[in-house]
Formats: sequence, C-alpha cells, structure tokens
Amino acid sequence: MATALAGRLGRGELRGSGEVAAATAGLLRRIVAHGRWSNAGELLQLIRAESRRVIAAEPSETTVGNIIRRVMKIVREEYSRLRGRGEEGDQDSLHKLLTSGGQSEDLSETLAPLRTNVIEAVNELLLELDGIQDNISVQALDHIHSNEVIMTLGRSAAVEAFLRDAARKRSFQVIVAEGAPYCQGHDLASSLSAAGIETTVITDAAIFAVMSRVNKVIIGTKTILANGGLRAVIGAHTLALAARHHSTPLIVCAAMYKLCPQFPNEENTVHKFVSPQEVLPFTEGEILCKVSTYCPVFDYVPPELITLFISNIGGNAPSYIYRLMSELYNPDDHQL
Amino acid sequence: SGDTGAMDELELVDYFKTQMRENEDVASAVAAIRTLLEFLKRDKGETIQGLRENLKAAIKILSSVDSSVAVSSGGELFLRFISLTSLEHPDYSICKKTMIDRGELYLERISASRDKIANLCHAFISDGSKILTHSSSRVVLRVLEKAARAKKRFSVFITDSQPDSSGLKSAESLKKLNIPVTVILDASVGYIMEKVDLLLVGAEGVVESGGIINKIGTYQMAVCAKSHNKPFYVVAESFKFVRLYPLNQQDVPDRFKYTAEILKSAKNLAEEHPTVDYTPPSFITLLFTDLGVLTPSAVSDELIKLYL
Repeated sequence: MATALAGRLGRGELRGSGEVAAATAGLLRRIVAHGRWSNAGELLQLIRAESRRVIAAEPSETTVGNIIRRVMKIVREEYSRLRGRGEEGDQDSLHKLLTSGGQSEDLSETLAPLRTNVIEAVNELLLELDGIQDNISVQALDHIHSNEVIMTLGRSAAVEAFLRDAARKRSFQVIVAEGAPYCQGHDLASSLSAAGIETTVITDAAIFAVMSRVNKVIIGTKTILANGGLRAVIGAHTLALAARHHSTPLIVCAAMYKLCPQFPNEENTVHKFVSPQEVLPFTEGEILCKVSTYCPVFDYVPPELITLFISNIGGNAPSYIYRLMSELYNPDDHQL
Repeated sequence: SGDTGAMDELELVDYFKTQMRENEDVASAVAAIRTLLEFLKRDKGETIQGLRENLKAAIKILSSVDSSVAVSSGGELFLRFISLTSLEHPDYSICKKTMIDRGELYLERISASRDKIANLCHAFISDGSKILTHSSSRVVLRVLEKAARAKKRFSVFITDSQPDSSGLKSAESLKKLNIPVTVILDASVGYIMEKVDLLLVGAEGVVESGGIINKIGTYQMAVCAKSHNKPFYVVAESFKFVRLYPLNQQDVPDRFKYTAEILKSAKNLAEEHPTVDYTPPSFITLLFTDLGVLTPSAVSDELIKLYL
C-alpha cells in the first residue's frame, strides 16, 4: 500500500500539498482498516514502518509526515477516550511533572471498538481536508480592502483561491513576482486576470523597487517550521526582507497540515536542489567546467519577518505556532 | 542531629550544604528541593497550613545561605507541589505520604533532565561549528559532551567570566573531553562574534517573559549576537522557571543580584557589583528544556499551566 503512494510521490504525480495530504490520509485509513494489528501500540508501530517508505520517496514533501503525525495523535486520543482517561493533553508540562503519579501511557490494551473509532476519526480528517481551501478563502474579505495593492510570489494554490474569493466583492490590484527560474508567477497572473483582477507581473529583481507602493504581501509556503519560520519557494526571504524594510505586513496563507515539528537548524533538515539547467543551460559550453551552479528550490524565512499566518483555523501570530503544534501532534511522534 | 525530630535552622543549613558539597554536579535548586523534602519528612505538624508556614520559613533560611534565583525557584516549585497535592487528599496523613512518594519520583525525574536536554540540543550543533559560551554551566557541558560523543567536530570559545573566573574551570573540563577550547576575555566577545556560528548558554533562572537571568555578561553577549544575526540558544531545566517578569535590569530583585554574604555585610549595595543580569526574550532564539524545545513565548504558557 505504501509503495504505491511512494511511487506516485517519486514520479511527481501529485500536484500540490492538498492532493498529497488527501492521498496520505487515504493510505493511513487503509492501513488502519486492513492492517494486522491488535492494540494501539502495534498500530502506531505499523504506521511508523509504512510511513518511512513514503517519506523516503520524497523527503522534502513534509505534508506526508505531518498527516501521519496527525493520524497518530488521533489514534492515541481515541485510545485514551476508550480507556476513559479523557483528554488531559499528553504534553509534558511543569504541572504534569509535579502531579502525575507515574508511568507513561501504556498502549498495549486491546480494545475492540478502536478500529472503527479510528477509521471514523480519519474520515472526519478527510472531510476537513476537503474543506480547508474554503476555510482559508472565507477569511479573505477581512484582510483585503478595496483599492489595495497586494504583492505575491510564484504560484500558491491557497493564495490564488484567497485572492479570487476577495475579488468577488472587492476591487484591488495584484503584483506578481514571477519566481524565476520556473516562472510560475506567469500562470498565476493569467489565472487572476481571468477572474477579473488587475494583475502586473514583475521580475524578482524589481521586488524591492516596487515594494514602496505595496500595501500587503501575501504568500503561500511549503512548510511552516516549529519556530514559526517558513520553508517557502526560493525568493521568499528576499521578499520578506523587502517587506520588513518598508514596514509592509507579510501574510502567509497555509493550511494546518503544513505545520511541521522540525526546527530550521536541526541536523536532518532537508534542502532540495534541482537541475540548474534553467539557470545556466548546458548549451553555454566551456564555462560549465569552470563554474559551480546551484538551483535550490526552497528558502528559509525567519519568524520575525512574518506578520500573520492565515490558516483553516483562523489568523495567528508566528509566536503562537508552538501552541498549535502541541494541539496537533504528540511529542513522541516528532521523530518518525 | 535527631533523626526523628523536626529539622531546626542549623540542621537545615547543614543538610543543604552537605548536599551541595557531596554532589558537585547537582544543581543548587535540586539540592534545595531535596533538603525541603527531607524537612517535609521530618515535620511534626498536623495541618497543611502549619506545613506551608514551616516550609516558607525554611525556604527563607535556604535563600540566606545561597541567594541564587535557582534556589528561590526550586523552593516556590516545592510549595506549589505541596498545594497541588493537598488539594487532592483532604486527609493529612494520606496527603503527607503521597507528597513524599511524589517528591521522590519528581527528584528522580529531574535528575534525568540534563540528559534529556542534551539529547534535544546536540542535534543543533553541526559538524565544523564554532560555539561561544559564557562562564560555567553544567548543562552546557553535558550538551557539548553529548555532541562530542556523537563524533561531531566543533570548537568552543569560552569567556573567562570575571569576577570569579568560572570560565576557566569549564575550559578544563572541556579539554579533558578532547574538545578544542579557547578561553577569551569578557571584553573580547564583540571581537570574536564574527567567527562563531552559534551561542550556547545556561541559565540560573528563566523568567515568565521567556528571558533569562544568568551570570553577568550574558546580556551583552546576546545583544552582540543579535546584531551579528547569530542564533542564541539557552539550555535550562524546567525547575528553573521562576515567576518573575522583569522589564529591565533594575526590575531584577536585589536579593538575586548579589551573593548571600554581600547582602548581609554590605553597607551600600549600590557600590557592589551584581553577579547576574537579565536577558530579554527578544534576544533568545530557542530554549532547550526537559519539557522540549521552546520558543520564548512558550515559557509563560508553561508557567501559567502550573500556577493557575
């Protein structure tokens, strides 16, 4: 089961984090329904083993790991609820250290309704994933006002939906930085102008020059890191610095399944590089032996440059990310 | 010293000093909590109120021996522990037994906290990095030890840290672990900052805002690090979280800034040199604690969960 998904990920058949999230949740539901396990501990081990294969196929796709952690937390919660323990929160806290009588959670009790309960909960998660785009877009009218100039970078599905939703009731302008070398900004611009929004495309080098006329910067991201920073498309850090210099608010539109419990300086953070063909094509000849060319895909944006995160659960400051993480994932699952 | 009688002032101070002397490696807050647990075991009172009063007096006595923030935070934590446990069992004798059992369990848990922190933190030290640290911190030593055992190659700059030159002691321990270490003057922190990759310091106390109270010189190191964009990491155990919210250096109470001897003997405190300073949370990148890796904003959350 896991190998099929790993194959699809490796071949790049899944477009966008939304599809990846739905596919991963579907895989996990199949594991829970058809896998051979008798108690919560075995189920978690089974999930961990299967997930390693999927993650190894495409390590930079952190959505996979995040959905897996979400489902593992669901399993633990359902197990506690069936044992009557209720939801005290399984985070380590000062309070818990002082007052608990003892040992950590024992996951080996066999409980008959666990399978159906977990499957139901995963179905709810799948429903939630369906409606995420709408939950984000519905907040657009609160943040975008008439006659504003919005800047964005590259092409993010969340930002596209966000802007299109706002355009139904407001009239505003959008400036799209193309995001070389793949220039996905061009596609976004055509899509937005088809929706009737006045759009301008600029080169990445012009970002700083144009920033003084921009009211807000709205971008999407690949991953939200545990300290509130981003791993976003290359060029995002430049955009964020230019926005900070002009005191322009930087808003990030991202669903909650992009929140990852990794920190940026840890030893196993993944950087992805692709062929530098777009930067320095092979036809250039001689110079290729004398020059090293890199084409990184992602950029790190530190949390102090970000003003607001807009996600399916509402708007939050970057300093609040630690709290959202503790609600979504169990600390034992941070390392899969 | 009567084994069955309640501890009086002399016995209390003696027990505390013995704890500190016998285990050089243990934090002063842990020694304080152990002393208070022993005091609790030998207490002859019959009511929770009486117990609390006696404990408060005992904590005051301990602070007069060792005036650091850590002893105060350990004491407050113990008091809170008593209050929380007493809420669960109205009967005093059952309550006392539960408290003693839980107290022993807590002490066991926090003796493992340094290892937990070292496990979390050494992943942030990458091969070939240069680390700057301040004065002597046993937690930092444990982290560096763990990183060295994980076969990482790194070098350490450590400040001499006047007035007691405690940095020299740490440098000796690091040399024994075969880690290349350079001792620098406190004044050379700005000079060395361009060479280092990250800063790693311990803390005597972690305040509610997420800032820290640590050996004097930490604040200027943090300011320098911020202006050079270097990450500033703090390692501290959870029993160092203290319910203070200083807004500036003046707000840190005098009883923490000077050693116990100076507090008793000095005629004019304004002429004495403080031994600690306060570093605001905006200068700290991450805190590594036995509760996990925390951003400074998460610290107050932890304290609220405990005290409210």
